[in-house]
Amino acid sequence: MSFLQPLALIALPLMALPIIIHLINQQRHRTIPWAAMMFLMRAKRMSRGMARLRHLLILLMRVLAIGALIFAISRPLSGGWLGSVGLSKPDATLILLDRSASMEMQDLQAGESKRSTALKRLAQLLEQGDYGTHLLLIDSASGQMQEVDSPKALLNLPMTGASATSANIPSMLETALAYLKANESGRAEIWICSDLNENDWDVHSGRWNAMRQAFAQLEGVHHFLLAYTDPPSNNLSLRVENVQRWKRGNDAELILDVMVRTNGNSGGTRRVPIEFEVNNIQSVVEVELDTLGASLQGHRIPIDAKLSSGWGSVSLPGDANPLDNRFFFVFSEPPVRKTVVVSDDKRIGEAFRRALAIPLDPRLQHQADVIPVNRVAEIDWESTGLLIWQGALPSGLVAEQIEHFVNSGRAVMFFPPAQNAGEQLFDSHWGAWQSADGKEVAKVAWWRGDADLLAHVESGDALPLNGLRTYRYRTLESTGTPLARFDDETPLLTRVPTDHGAIYFCSTLPTAQYSSLERDGIVFYIMLQRALTEGCLTLAAAAQRDAGVGVLADRDQWESIAPAENTASLSQRELHAGVYREGEHWVAVNRSQAEDNAKTSPVETVDALFDGLSYRRIDVDVGDTSALASELWRIFLIAMALALILEAILSLPSRKTEDTPLIDLATAEGITE
Amino acid sequence: MLQLKRDYLNQKVLERLSTLQLHARLPMVGSVSGKHRSPIRGSSLEFAEYRKYVPGDDTRRLDWRAYARNDRYYIKEFEADTNLRMCLVVDTSGSMDFTDNGNPAGTDAESGLSKLDYARRVAGTLAYIAALQGDAVGLYCAGQAFQKEIPPKRSATHLSVVLDELGTMEASGETGLADVLHETAERIPQRALIVVISDLFIEPETVRNCFEHLRFRKHDVAVFHLMEQNELDFEFDRPMRFVDMEGGEPILADPTVIGAQYRRAMEIYLESMDEVIRDTEVDYHRIQIHENYGDVLARFLLGRTPKRHK
Repeated sequence: MSFLQPLALIALPLMALPIIIHLINQQRHRTIPWAAMMFLMRAKRMSRGMARLRHLLILLMRVLAIGALIFAISRPLSGGWLGSVGLSKPDATLILLDRSASMEMQDLQAGESKRSTALKRLAQLLEQGDYGTHLLLIDSASGQMQEVDSPKALLNLPMTGASATSANIPSMLETALAYLKANESGRAEIWICSDLNENDWDVHSGRWNAMRQAFAQLEGVHHFLLAYTDPPSNNLSLRVENVQRWKRGNDAELILDVMVRTNGNSGGTRRVPIEFEVNNIQSVVEVELDTLGASLQGHRIPIDAKLSSGWGSVSLPGDANPLDNRFFFVFSEPPVRKTVVVSDDKRIGEAFRRALAIPLDPRLQHQADVIPVNRVAEIDWESTGLLIWQGALPSGLVAEQIEHFVNSGRAVMFFPPAQNAGEQLFDSHWGAWQSADGKEVAKVAWWRGDADLLAHVESGDALPLNGLRTYRYRTLESTGTPLARFDDETPLLTRVPTDHGAIYFCSTLPTAQYSSLERDGIVFYIMLQRALTEGCLTLAAAAQRDAGVGVLADRDQWESIAPAENTASLSQRELHAGVYREGEHWVAVNRSQAEDNAKTSPVETVDALFDGLSYRRIDVDVGDTSALASELWRIFLIAMALALILEAILSLPSRKTEDTPLIDLATAEGITE
Repeated sequence: MLQLKRDYLNQKVLERLSTLQLHARLPMVGSVSGKHRSPIRGSSLEFAEYRKYVPGDDTRRLDWRAYARNDRYYIKEFEADTNLRMCLVVDTSGSMDFTDNGNPAGTDAESGLSKLDYARRVAGTLAYIAALQGDAVGLYCAGQAFQKEIPPKRSATHLSVVLDELGTMEASGETGLADVLHETAERIPQRALIVVISDLFIEPETVRNCFEHLRFRKHDVAVFHLMEQNELDFEFDRPMRFVDMEGGEPILADPTVIGAQYRRAMEIYLESMDEVIRDTEVDYHRIQIHENYGDVLARFLLGRTPKRHK
């Protein structure tokens, strides 16, 4: 329980006043000679039972009356979960607001989303109480911290509005931790408002342990989690998984793969209309939903052949979360998928060129150029999607160019040089060549089949890496993650983690002198095609991006195209779903796929993240804007009145004693006459 | 009239009560002629009955008129009047020192009477009245610390001894009333009027045994049960340390807590005492010591007047 006038609680010891008065009274006794001791002793014996209890109750009622009065004066606030707050006011209050798309789930009757409900209730609570010298907001969309003037201002700030972003709760807590450490704040309250989305919380991240230990070292920091733990209500979300513009003769068409996901209990199969809008032309298709949702693969929408690029959207009828009912997409003519192979060995370069020049889809255009290392300067980096580097690791300007190439979202694969290992690049360095010692060939003992270049094919079949024979391979010293390993634990394929683009190191070469990659073909071809596809994602004039800070940072003059009601400020618009254009370039910004997944982290798991910290979870319902805490002084005044009434009733003398005369002298005297 | 020098006797009360007589409710057996009925036939003017003459009877008591009418010999018998033995049994336990304002007697000159003072006045006045009408008076002080026994005698000097003893007796220690009553019942050979003056702070069943013993010995028993208003009401507004006047352990108690229980215990005791009185048929008077003892004694004497005189 917290109090608006906690100083009044200093008077709590006054509750002992009736007991003290009672004890003093006991000490103030008068001595009197007494004759009728036999009755006194009997009375003492009789008073051990109910009478003593009655007297104790009277004392208790007096104590309670004083206590209730003091509590009433101290203006208590309801909410047992506030019990750990204590009596002193915090120096700072930090609000960590989850603005992710899933927080826009609404209570349709109240018209309030999880985010707005949490904000209102929190603002109301802080308005009533004392939030300290600093009121700080960390919103999940921007990840930035900013000071807020008053709790009421929270309701109107753009930084507390809806967004299509995902949240990163550990990162927000780290920001809060950094602030508390930097400012050496004393007592602080951290309020986290979230729907416990599994993706947002990333409960299995190793960051939690470190963060918990760091918070444990701070004294007086209380964590409150305003959590929506109810299972998701019936909600549909939709997403365009893939969009392609194909030309067919003189006509053109868009081919879309649309996924509709069902969250909550849909109550069996039903049909739902999906509205497509392209170039201001709407069309509706009904899909049948089962318990998981529906998938609309290869939906064709004819378009004007002259329309080489543009945008569209797919919409669902309104439901609990309005933010996941519309998905924007952009399209453009597929780019030429260009690869540059840098190798001094013509034989090896040719092997790469052959594998990369043949497209998976005949409608795509592939181009693969092989150049020696000394002609690197001729590379047109802008139009290239994949760089194959088979040679000593470069340094200097070339290394910088490759780094920039990767940062722009392209892919690079390094293959070992026959001789000189070269410099260290991307924290990786080639070691010595190894031969299959004592064995004819080195076998692949393990590879990652669930994702990345060596993932299983769509049918679920694994790539035939078991049959790959490797005669020579080069060791690699790298901080990267192996995607495939030989049986002596030497990695065959390694991926170096990057924020953008992709960097791979392959330990052997495709020619027969080194391995059967080229001769067997399948693994080699698929691996290179996948790398090329990944590298060419950014080559297209139209790109799909997840909402978040920096998604529109690559160009300066993005113009908002859709939706028409997009009024977000320049700094905020990259956080909202929409379509943006600059010249030939199009970008569709949507919520991330993780936000469509309504899976929440179990509350027990979330609670465990705060083990050892001062932490209280407050479960709230969406749409319930009732006060988190309300003043209770009336209850205490009523309690005081009741205690006084009870005290008065208990203090009343027994009626029998009052009415019955003890001695009837008239009858007692001369009784035998 | 005897010359009185005892300050606990009030001349006006004595003069007022001297017009009344102390009567025994039961026939008494006395050594001399007196004003009280005797179970033995005597020569008083009060006719009792006729009975047939048997040889050996005094011929002077033959009723010749009856003989003339019936030709048979009848002896005419008359009631015998005799004197009274009155034994005053005064409780001299420490509790009798309790006064009508809750203070021990003698601590404050202006304070009221103690129970013992009251007992002194009642006993002295009764002794005087009895002596005045020629009855024998005895005194028994019933305290474990202070015991005194003065057997009943008729002489004026004996009255003086009794009155002196009344004037000097003190209240202290525990009560010895039960023992004294049993001893008195056994020691006094003939019927007597036993006047008990006490606060009777002993168990009602003990009192019952004493009274039944006295009644069994044909004694006429009168009881003055002295109480004080405070003892009945138990009205105190703060915790008190009650010191036992009979030497027991003091008790610290809050009357606001145990007041109801005290009054309930008192009520039960008085009800039990009433039952004892009803069963033993003693002449019982419950007195509050702020009452005028002259009025109390007048009521007592008038109550004992034989009905045939009314």
